[in-house]
Amino acid sequence: MNLNYTIAMMLIALGIYCLLFKRNLIKLIIGLSVITDGAHLFFISMGFRAGGIAPIFIANLASNSTDFASLAVDPLPQALVLTSIVINICITALALSLAIYAYRHYKTLNPFNMRRLRG
Amino acid sequence: MAIIVPLAGAFLAPLVDILVKRTNHPRALDYFALAVTVGSLLLVVNIVMSTGGNDIIIYRLGGWVSPLGINLVVDGLGLLIGIIVAGISTLVVIYSIVFMKDEGGLGQYYTLMLLLTAGMLGVALTGDLFNLYVFFEIMSISSYALVAFRRSKISIEGSVKYLIVGSLGTTFILIGIALLYGITGTLNIADLAGKMAVVNTIPASTPLILIIALTLFVVGFGMKIGMIPFHAWLPDAYQSAPSPISAIMAGGTAIVGVGVLLRVGYLIFGAPMVGPLLIGFGVVTMVLGALMALVQRDLKRLLAYSGISQMGYILFGVGMGTALGITGGLFHMLNNAIYKSLLFLAAGAIIYRVGTSRLDELGGIGRKMPITAGVFMVGALALAGMPPFNGFASKLTIFLAGIDAGYSILSGVAAIISAVTLTYMIRAFIAIFLGPTTRRFAKVKEAPGAMIFPMIVLAAFCILLGVLPQLGFDAVEPAQMILINPSNYVKEVLLGV
Repeated sequence: MNLNYTIAMMLIALGIYCLLFKRNLIKLIIGLSVITDGAHLFFISMGFRAGGIAPIFIANLASNSTDFASLAVDPLPQALVLTSIVINICITALALSLAIYAYRHYKTLNPFNMRRLRG
Repeated sequence: MAIIVPLAGAFLAPLVDILVKRTNHPRALDYFALAVTVGSLLLVVNIVMSTGGNDIIIYRLGGWVSPLGINLVVDGLGLLIGIIVAGISTLVVIYSIVFMKDEGGLGQYYTLMLLLTAGMLGVALTGDLFNLYVFFEIMSISSYALVAFRRSKISIEGSVKYLIVGSLGTTFILIGIALLYGITGTLNIADLAGKMAVVNTIPASTPLILIIALTLFVVGFGMKIGMIPFHAWLPDAYQSAPSPISAIMAGGTAIVGVGVLLRVGYLIFGAPMVGPLLIGFGVVTMVLGALMALVQRDLKRLLAYSGISQMGYILFGVGMGTALGITGGLFHMLNNAIYKSLLFLAAGAIIYRVGTSRLDELGGIGRKMPITAGVFMVGALALAGMPPFNGFASKLTIFLAGIDAGYSILSGVAAIISAVTLTYMIRAFIAIFLGPTTRRFAKVKEAPGAMIFPMIVLAAFCILLGVLPQLGFDAVEPAQMILINPSNYVKEVLLGV
């Protein structure tokens, strides 16, 4: 259980490190998704319960809703993380397409060589 | 409940795009986009009229009771932001009809524009923290794509920077939401506010997690609104985006960011925790933004930095946490939306007719474009806080509130920065419109009517709110009540009325 949180924090830290020190647009995008994945892992671990059942109410697993609630894992983080994963895919796709355009314009993926805007 | 309609209408855009392509009516799309934005504006106005802005309307999606289901909440703050957003996007669509006429891919443009509007309205009117995150992402993703819309060198560069910083910010917000969920087990903003009030009453134990969550929220939203340590993307993005998009981002997205920061900050964490933070960031943002604006050579970049600086005024005002301060801050937020989008639209008109926005290349076009020059002057003076315009009323309120709340020195700093603002706006005005007309600009004409009209409307609001500031105070009062006294909000949302 604690392992989950530790790994989530490590992923977030790793992603931030990547964003700070890498000099390649693709690596920056990878860093972004690593951070987001860390956040997802963190979020979903919060609803986890060892040996819990799927949060679908079936009469032969639990007789009433109180029993059921004490057995099932928390469904809310799962739903939210699912949504968030989809959003993250959109961002990654958009970022990669921008990286393609950037490469076409500048012939490099190093963001420090893309300096048309300054001041 | 009329609230769901603008959202649904805005999401229809891609469908209509396909239809339009099938039926060969090239202008139909413009008018559809216009109809949708006008429709949402009318609906928001209708809600304001029917409630007077004081009531709280709750719309429960799927009919679940409040803390369980997702709900949309129409309250004073949401309505204030909603009306700004809907109004500005309507004007920007009118403007785009001419401005974007010669560009390809208008289907994508209007789709993204309507998505952006829908996202902003959604953020303003939601009552659920995660729903807020989703709408915030909708808004962000469409604005990243809109900045890159021209696919030129600079717009790709601006968009890449915006995207990396922006999605880092939203990820921070997601982690913050996760932490809050871990503490309280709920994501309904009202329910959260209630439970956090309980957590905060236990003395001497503001948990470390809360501080971390607050930091994450402030950093995350700060990245979106261009608060100073996180502002680097903003001038690039504003400069490289098409001008109507710069206008909608300065007048809409940034305002939504501030509104959300206020809602999360004040409702969930409470003023004593958030206030000093906002004042600190606000003053730094205000000073540095104005100083950076002084040295800019590009009109849109100058406007972007002055936008950052004005954001500092808003944060300073609302950070004080007194009724007067919050009123001033919110009023300034309304005014800032009006004149900032006015100035960006005027910059767009100059670019449209002259083809450049560099201050050292421009000069002497005032005689050729008298109306644009006039509205630019109104916007510039309002921005600098000169008396007959709206900026004066709100800035004065912020200064007075600052002195009231015991921040006299910071109020003085704010007043000095106001003079700096006047300096750089006058410098820009002289550089663009006055002086001899060079041969290069001899054939420049006044901007077309569809571009003039939104600018005149905005300029009229600048003067109207400046002459009758009471109108503005009335407009922001319900929002201020929500922030000052969140317990009513909690009660009404949870128990239902």
